[in-house]
Amino acid sequence: MTPSQTHLPSRHALPSMSSLWSLRVPSASLQPCVCVLKHRVFSNLRTEFGSNRENVRWNEVRSDGRFVLRAVADPVSSSEPNSDQEEVVKSEGGDPFAKFYGIVTSLPPVVYVMKSKSRAGYAFGLCVVTAFVFVVMRVFAARRANHNRSGSVADLVRRGQLRSDRRVKVGKRNSTLEMCGKVYRLAPVTLTKEQQAIHKKRRSRAYQWKRPTMFLKEGDMIPPDVDPDTVRWIPANHPFATTASDIDEDLAQTNVYQKHGVPFRIQAEHEELQRKLEALQMDQKLDKLVIDRKNAQDFERPYKFQASPLDGEQNGSHNQSSNSSESEHSSSSSSISQSSAEEIQKQ
Amino acid sequence: MASKGKPARATLVDVGVKNTRPLTQPPPLPFLAAQLCSSFIRPLSLSLSLSLPSNASSAGAPNLSSTSKLFSFSNPIKTLKPLRPKHPPPIQSVLQWNRKPQLAGETPRVVVITSGKGGVGKTTTTANVGLSLARLGFSVVAIDADVGLRNLDLLLGLENRVNYTVVEVLNGDCRLDQALVRDKRWSNFELLCISKPRSKLPIGFGGKALVWLVDALKSRQEGSPDFIIIDCPAGIDAGFITAITPANEAVLVTTPDITSLRDADRVIGLLECDGIRDIKMIVNRVRTDMIKGEDMMSVLDVQEMLGLALLGLIPEDSEVIRSTNRGYPLVLNKPPTLAGLAFEQAAWRLVEQDSMKAVMMEEEPKKRGFFSLFGG
Repeated sequence: MTPSQTHLPSRHALPSMSSLWSLRVPSASLQPCVCVLKHRVFSNLRTEFGSNRENVRWNEVRSDGRFVLRAVADPVSSSEPNSDQEEVVKSEGGDPFAKFYGIVTSLPPVVYVMKSKSRAGYAFGLCVVTAFVFVVMRVFAARRANHNRSGSVADLVRRGQLRSDRRVKVGKRNSTLEMCGKVYRLAPVTLTKEQQAIHKKRRSRAYQWKRPTMFLKEGDMIPPDVDPDTVRWIPANHPFATTASDIDEDLAQTNVYQKHGVPFRIQAEHEELQRKLEALQMDQKLDKLVIDRKNAQDFERPYKFQASPLDGEQNGSHNQSSNSSESEHSSSSSSISQSSAEEIQKQ
Repeated sequence: MASKGKPARATLVDVGVKNTRPLTQPPPLPFLAAQLCSSFIRPLSLSLSLSLPSNASSAGAPNLSSTSKLFSFSNPIKTLKPLRPKHPPPIQSVLQWNRKPQLAGETPRVVVITSGKGGVGKTTTTANVGLSLARLGFSVVAIDADVGLRNLDLLLGLENRVNYTVVEVLNGDCRLDQALVRDKRWSNFELLCISKPRSKLPIGFGGKALVWLVDALKSRQEGSPDFIIIDCPAGIDAGFITAITPANEAVLVTTPDITSLRDADRVIGLLECDGIRDIKMIVNRVRTDMIKGEDMMSVLDVQEMLGLALLGLIPEDSEVIRSTNRGYPLVLNKPPTLAGLAFEQAAWRLVEQDSMKAVMMEEEPKKRGFFSLFGG
């Protein structure tokens, strides 16, 4: 048995003591504990291997309530494992002052630390200073290079020839792409022509479709020479299902192809109006026109609201009848004829 | 389940453009990566099990496991495990810094923007892609073919300038050039509405009228427009049939949800039956946070289910609502938003008849080095 092993308590007292101790002083005692435990294992191994090499065996680290603390006061003595100065602090949880004293004594003295690490610290400091100087020089050089760079893409951006916000940057290995401040990883598309052909084949089997060439409203009769498969039935309220158009197909096509001149309908209306006026003038119907006083009252707006409701109804019915009988241009022609009649009357 | 290590079949390389023609007008923007994509993917699968053959040799055995679940197919086909390459090939990308998009295909290119489901962003896509094309220097005519429920004029802020529509043109009340509303911000962008909100279109004229319109636009004095973009109404009834009639290519807008995907698949089927072969898709309203949390399908999942080439990916952006309210499309915003940039890139690919070759995953915010603290 080594001297260090003599400090070990019996195994029966282990659990309760250690739990108590760890509960009470958890943080402050952690470092000495580890240090001492290491040391103990080390010293145990040393003693086991050194003194009695035939009986080499591993001594398990046993955590117990007692902590062996070693103060590294003397470097010479600490180099010798057999002459370790160890101090056992019984952590029975009763005396906090003793615990604190143990912690303080376990810490290495500052002077020793400074002495032992002065050379290493100096080297480290030199490295830090060198790195800092290097970084500063690099930044300085980069800024200077930025200012002096001419003819590059950045220069084009600065001059407004290129738009920096639309630039897409591709990585060196073409595996990444930078766009709008985000970096994306590229992956190849795997669809092949063969796969496309397979899909086409599948769809051609699945969707047998013949383009409808005739649109019929629901309820209409299919013309005799039409294939029923090409008929598309349209509900009566569909935008396509209007009533028969007053314009035929050829005329519509001509209208679409018309590039110059007055559009067909405008010209037709104009010609119609012109024809009417000419007819009126030729037939001298203007002289025979009789002024309708009720119609004339329509133009006298300030007095209109004083008219009786009966008059209003009569006027409305008259507009309706005129609207129903005549188209827009005919109503405009009637107003023209009325105004011309008034002029005649004045004369 | 979709595997992590899918073989990288396509790489981002410069585009082989067909029938290109040089532009005389410089593009309005110094423009960015046309080939680059803005997609937000989730590498793994989600609740829908998706397994597609990843090698060409498996093309003979069509794998419909994902679509059969979604679209009620009962085709017992053996699924093949995707091969996992040990070293996936590197992604190559080319930034198109110093070049303008080259127009591919014959002009005018008549593109219908459709979806099947309503509310997925057809009109927003039409407005933004249309204006992006105009900003790239192409002349564009956008036709709002939504007969009863037109909204494109609102998104463009041109609602007060729509006096005549196609219905008036057909009736002879005005000429076609009078019905075209020219955008004052970009004079090579014009809007044409089919009808006023409460007016009705003659029953037999729908599709024919649009064909006449396209023909008339081709033979305009100032020249044929480069693009005619048709905003298709939702659904697959008469309005849809009318809108797709003159189109020779289609852009399908979808969101990464299962209802939208089912409608989209049906619409693609109808478009293919109608003879429109060039169909690409835009996945709209992609939310990276939901994809990360495996609550939303990733873009690659959507692509596997529909089997369409990707034209673009538009992230969910609150700026969309603001721009709609202002009548000021996203692509005109300064500074640009993510969604606006994504629309611009989609427009670029549309010009070149290209599709996305790579998608991207959202990563952590940009990493900065230690010296960035000191300004390095």
